Amino acid sequence: MSPSPSNVDTDVASFRIQRHPTPRKVTTLAARTSAVALALLTAGAALALTGASPWALVREVVADTVGSSFGLEDLGLLVSPLLLTGLSVWVALRIGAWNIGAEGQFNAGALAAAGVGLYVPGSTLFLLPLMLLAAIGGGVLWIAGPALARAYAGVSELITTLLLNFVAALLVYWLATGPWLDPGGRALGSTARIVHEIPEFWGSVHWGLPAALFLAVILGAVLNFTRWGYEIRLCGANPQAARYAGIPVRRRLVVVMLTSGALAGTAGMFEVAGTVHHLQGGISNNFGYLGIMVAVLARRSTLGVVAGAVFMALLLDSGTVLATRGVDVSIVLAVTGLVLLYTAIGDEVAHYRIVRTSGP
Amino acid sequence: MTDGPSPMVQLRGITKTFPGVVACENVDLAVGHGEIHALLGENGAGKSTLMNMLTGIYRPDAGEILIDAAQKHFAAPADAMAAGIGMVHQHFKLVPSFTVAENIHLGWDRTPVLVRDADLARRTRELAAGLGVEVRPDARVEELSTGEQQRVEILRVLSRRARLLILDEPTAVLTPKEARDLFKTLKIFVGRGNAVILISHKLDEVMGVADRITVLRGGRKVASEMTRDCSAGMLARLMVGHDILRNAPRIRSDPTPPMTAAPVLQLRDIVVTDAVGTIRLGGVCLEVHGGEILGVAGVAGNGQKELSQVLTGMSRVNSGDILLAGEDYSRRSAREFAEFGIGHIPENRLHSGLAPALSITDNSVMREYRRSPVSRRAWYRPGRARALASCIAAAAAVRVADLSMPVANLSGGNQQRLVARREMRIATRVLVAAYPSRGLDVGAIDSMMSYLAELRDSGVAVILISEELEELLNLCDRIAVMCRGAIMGTVDPKTASIEEIGLLMAGQGTFEPKPLERRH
Repeated sequence: MSPSPSNVDTDVASFRIQRHPTPRKVTTLAARTSAVALALLTAGAALALTGASPWALVREVVADTVGSSFGLEDLGLLVSPLLLTGLSVWVALRIGAWNIGAEGQFNAGALAAAGVGLYVPGSTLFLLPLMLLAAIGGGVLWIAGPALARAYAGVSELITTLLLNFVAALLVYWLATGPWLDPGGRALGSTARIVHEIPEFWGSVHWGLPAALFLAVILGAVLNFTRWGYEIRLCGANPQAARYAGIPVRRRLVVVMLTSGALAGTAGMFEVAGTVHHLQGGISNNFGYLGIMVAVLARRSTLGVVAGAVFMALLLDSGTVLATRGVDVSIVLAVTGLVLLYTAIGDEVAHYRIVRTSGP
Repeated sequence: MTDGPSPMVQLRGITKTFPGVVACENVDLAVGHGEIHALLGENGAGKSTLMNMLTGIYRPDAGEILIDAAQKHFAAPADAMAAGIGMVHQHFKLVPSFTVAENIHLGWDRTPVLVRDADLARRTRELAAGLGVEVRPDARVEELSTGEQQRVEILRVLSRRARLLILDEPTAVLTPKEARDLFKTLKIFVGRGNAVILISHKLDEVMGVADRITVLRGGRKVASEMTRDCSAGMLARLMVGHDILRNAPRIRSDPTPPMTAAPVLQLRDIVVTDAVGTIRLGGVCLEVHGGEILGVAGVAGNGQKELSQVLTGMSRVNSGDILLAGEDYSRRSAREFAEFGIGHIPENRLHSGLAPALSITDNSVMREYRRSPVSRRAWYRPGRARALASCIAAAAAVRVADLSMPVANLSGGNQQRLVARREMRIATRVLVAAYPSRGLDVGAIDSMMSYLAELRDSGVAVILISEELEELLNLCDRIAVMCRGAIMGTVDPKTASIEEIGLLMAGQGTFEPKPLERRH
C-alpha cells in the first residue's frame, strides 16, 4: 500500500497534481540532475552575456579537470578535505546540530599539526600519527565550548561555532606571519616547510583521500549498524522521544559534536601534511564552509557526502581553470549558490505527481 | 432575562462546525451590565470556541452577536476590541524582555509617537491607578510572578477601553491569595457597569464570585442560571452529564487473577514544581497493585501530565519517594524505569512517543533496540529490527507494505495503536496510559480498552489517565480524582455517583487537598 496523497492541490481538466509525503527515489534523482544542469545553464548564459563562448570554456574545463591525469590529481587533492569537512557537518546534522565551524576546527587542526610537525623532534613514522592526534585534539578543543554550551545551556551552536572560525583564522595568520614565520626567510608569510609528509599513492594525491573515504564508510556503518548510531538518529529526529526512550540526549549530542570537530581537525592535518606542507594564512581555503554545502546536498546518506564532495571539488577545480582563462572566479560561487537553490526547489517538486483522474 | 431589556452582550443561536465536529450548536448567551458571568464546562465543551467567536478569532456559521442590542460582525480580533471586548488568554501574550510599561503601550494607537521611558511609566501608573490594578511600570515582565503578569495582561486589555473582559481559566496559574486579589479587581470592574465572562471548571470559585452561571456540554448550552439558584452538586451533574452509560465493567477472565498483595508501585508525598517554582504536584500519594486498573480522573492540566512523567522516570521529583516493588527509584533514569517493566503511552504521541520523520521500523523498536534480537553487543541489526517492527505492526493491526515509510504518514489511530502495542511489550509490571483514546474513533477506542483489560488479566498494573468518565467507570477498579496537583480522593466505580466525581474534579468535597493514602 502506498502512502495516501495528503492533499489535492489543483484540478486541471482530467489531470490533477498530488503532493505525496515521500518522494520516489527516481524522481528525486531526476530533480537533482536537472537542478545541476539548470545551474550550469544559467551560469553559461551569464558567461555568454559577457561575450565569452561558454561552449569553448566547457571543453577546456573538462579537458583540464577530468580529461587529464593532472586535472584528476588536482581533483583528488580537493576531494579529501571537502569529504572530511562534509562528513564533519553531516554527522553533526544527524543529531540536529549545525556545525558552521568546520572552517575554524580545520584551522585549529592544521595549526596543531603544524606545531607538532615543526617543533617536535622525531621520525616521520612517529610524528605523523602524533600530528594527527594533535589535529584531532585541536578540532575537538575548538568545538568543545560550543558543544557544551549547546548541550547544557541551550546556546545556539550556529553562532558560537561561526564566531570561533574568525578566531582560528586570525590565530593561524598571526602564528604563520609572526612567531612561527620561517626563520630561514625563504617562505613568505608562512612557516618553514614541514618535512613530515603523508605519502602519495598516485601522482601528487596522498593517502588522505583513501583515508577520508574509509572514514565515510565507517561513519555510515556506525550510524546504520550500531546501537549508538540508532540512538543518534533518534536524538536527531526527536530529542523528546529519545529522552522518553531513555537515551542521555545531552551526552550523545556532545560526543557527536566533538566527533564533528575531530573530523574537521583531521582535514586540517591532511592539508598541512599532505598538500601544502606549510602553515599559512588562509590554509582552510573555505573548505569548512563548502563542507556545509556538501552536507546539505548529501541529506541523509553517507554516499551522498562522497558524491557531494566530488561535485564541489569539480566546481572548485573548474573555477581555477576558468580563472586562468580570465573568467572571474566568482562565477563558481554563483554556480554553487544556484545549485543549492535549484536543488531545494527540485527536492520540493519531487513530492508532486501528476495523475490522471478516472471517470468523468 | 432578569435584568433590563438590553444586555451588554447577547449571543443568539451561535453554531460553529469544524471538519467532522460540531464545536458549538445553537448556543444562546446573555451577559448584563455589572455582571460576572461564569462559563462552565469540561474540556471540549465548546467554551473556547464560543469565546473565540465573541473576540473575532472565528466567525460563526450561524447565529448573531449583539452588543448593546446592535448586531455586530467581527472580521478580526481588532473589531471585537473596538467594540469593547477584551480577552485574557490562559497563555499570556506579553513580551518577557520588555518592561510592564512597554508591554502596555505595545501596539496601541494611543501610544505617544515619541516614546520616553519616564513618560510610558507615568502613563502606565495613571492608568493602573484609574482602573484599580496594581502593577510596577518599570519592572521587566520576565521578572514578574504569574499573578503579576496576569495583572499586566488585564491592565493592557482594560486600557483599550474594554467593557467586557473575558478571562480563560484565570486562576489555574494563581496562588489562592492572588486569586482573591483578582476577584476583588473584577468586582470593582463590574461595579462600574462593565461585565466579565469567566471561563472555569472550578465550582467553588465560580459559586463564590459569579452572578450567573452558564453550563456548556458537548457544544450545547445545558443551563443558564443565577448563582443563588445553583448548588455545586447540581452544577457538577450538569457539567459531566447524566447520560453516562454504565456498561458492565469489562469482564475479568475467570478465574480472576488475584491482585498482588504488595503494591508494585508506590508514590509517597511526591512534590513537583515547574521551572518558575509553581507547584504542579503537591504531596501525591498513590499505590497500585499488579492486576488492577487504577483510573486517574480530572480536568486536563491539573497535574496529570506531571504525574505520568513521575511514574515513568521522565522528570525528577522535588521531594517524596517512588517505590517500585519496594525499591527506591526516586533518583533513577527513565531507562531504568523502562527496564523495571514500566510502559508508557504518552499524552502527546507525536511530541514524545514517536519520531515522526523516522521510519515505522525505527519507531517500533524504540523500546527494545538495546536487547537481542534487535542488537547484539554494540551492533544494531536492521533486518531483525524490521522483523520486530512487522510483528508489532501486525499486533497493532497497522497494515502497511513498506515499514521504511515515515511514521508521520500513518493515521492518528494507527500511530496510537502502534505506540500502545510497542509499550505493552515492555510493560511487564506497569503500564501508564495517558489519554490513550484521545483523538481516536470508536473502534480504535474499543481496541485500546481491550488492550488494557488484556494487560490487567496478565497481572500488570495499569494506570489509566483519562478525561472520559465513561471509560474510567467501565474499566477501572479504583478511580483517583485529581485537582490542582493533588489527589482529592479515590472512589469505587461500582458505587460512586457522577456527582461525587464531578465535585472532586472541581476541587470540592474536600477543601484541604487530601492525599489518597497517608503514610503511617
